[in-house]
Amino acid sequence: MMLWLGLMLGAAFGAALQLSGASSHTAIIRALRLKDLTIIKLIMTAIGVGLIGVHLLDLSGWANMKVKDLYLPGLIVAGLIFGVGFAVSGYCPGTALVAAAEGKPDAWVTVLGGMIGALVFAFMFPDLETLLFSFGQYGPVTIHELLGIQGALLALPLGGFCLWLAAKLPGSGGA
Amino acid sequence: MTHKTQSLRDTRHKDTSPVLVWWAGGLAIGVVLILAVALVQPIGVSAQYVVLDGVLLHHVLPDVASGSPYLAKTAQGWTLATYEFFFVLGIPLGALMAAMATSRFATRVVPTEWNQRFGSNPGNRLVWSFVGGFLLLFGARVGGGCTSGHMISGVSQLAVSSLVFSLALFASAIVTARWMYGDWGKR
Repeated sequence: MMLWLGLMLGAAFGAALQLSGASSHTAIIRALRLKDLTIIKLIMTAIGVGLIGVHLLDLSGWANMKVKDLYLPGLIVAGLIFGVGFAVSGYCPGTALVAAAEGKPDAWVTVLGGMIGALVFAFMFPDLETLLFSFGQYGPVTIHELLGIQGALLALPLGGFCLWLAAKLPGSGGA
Repeated sequence: MTHKTQSLRDTRHKDTSPVLVWWAGGLAIGVVLILAVALVQPIGVSAQYVVLDGVLLHHVLPDVASGSPYLAKTAQGWTLATYEFFFVLGIPLGALMAAMATSRFATRVVPTEWNQRFGSNPGNRLVWSFVGGFLLLFGARVGGGCTSGHMISGVSQLAVSSLVFSLALFASAIVTARWMYGDWGKR
């Protein structure tokens, strides 16, 4: 039952990424070069909808939240490495799977490289752990907890701002 | 899903063109996230690369796989029969169905932008695709998440960790892309 649910939700996610062109190398690279921000508009919309929806669920007590731990400087190093991989490949771990399924051989190789990168990390982990995670650990903190307010109080206006920004940013595709 | 589809075929892009406009695509992704959070948990992709690694390695070299505490912890029970793995398995399936249904299954090795800058040599593109993939998953595992888990799920939950990761990611990706494609110093 849970497996089927996973497969269905995953398929809906994959289809949404595919239909919106998030798996397009061209669209990603043009966004990162700041030539065409359509993908940024897409991401801002997803985050805006997510912020509002997830926090409305949370207000109703139906949300299964899972906040990741904050550890500095590990997360910054991680983001910097990931960003280089994002620009070089033109895919992220999810959209590489989408592009691979669409028949793009360079994405197959990105998935393969990803499997090797994940494996190398797994075997370097005991050493990296002490280096990256030994200080600057803060646990699963959220912005609204730091401010001491209800999540929705921040998420709803911020979500609205993301949607406004998504609409205001210039893009290629009119609409 | 009942989103208004507008064909937005951009002929400049040889890559698969979008069928959904940005707001419809963003809405669809947001709705999937909300459903996932309501029914199970926020979405995530990158950990399942480790799970697949672990299960495959455990199949051929069980002692080596068990020798990595990180693999043993992430690929718990050395099984792929989990909600998390099936979610990730669903991504290419849904993508394939969407591409087929809209007649947008198309193959090419060298993308347009890459071709214009680095030429049409497929070997060159494949080597760098591999390197990019390696860095993506290495970075995602250092950070404990990727674009899905951190940027979409994490930022939606107002997680400080996800905001830090996403800002570092975009700063690095924009600088790298503009440098690679020779955008600095010209408009």
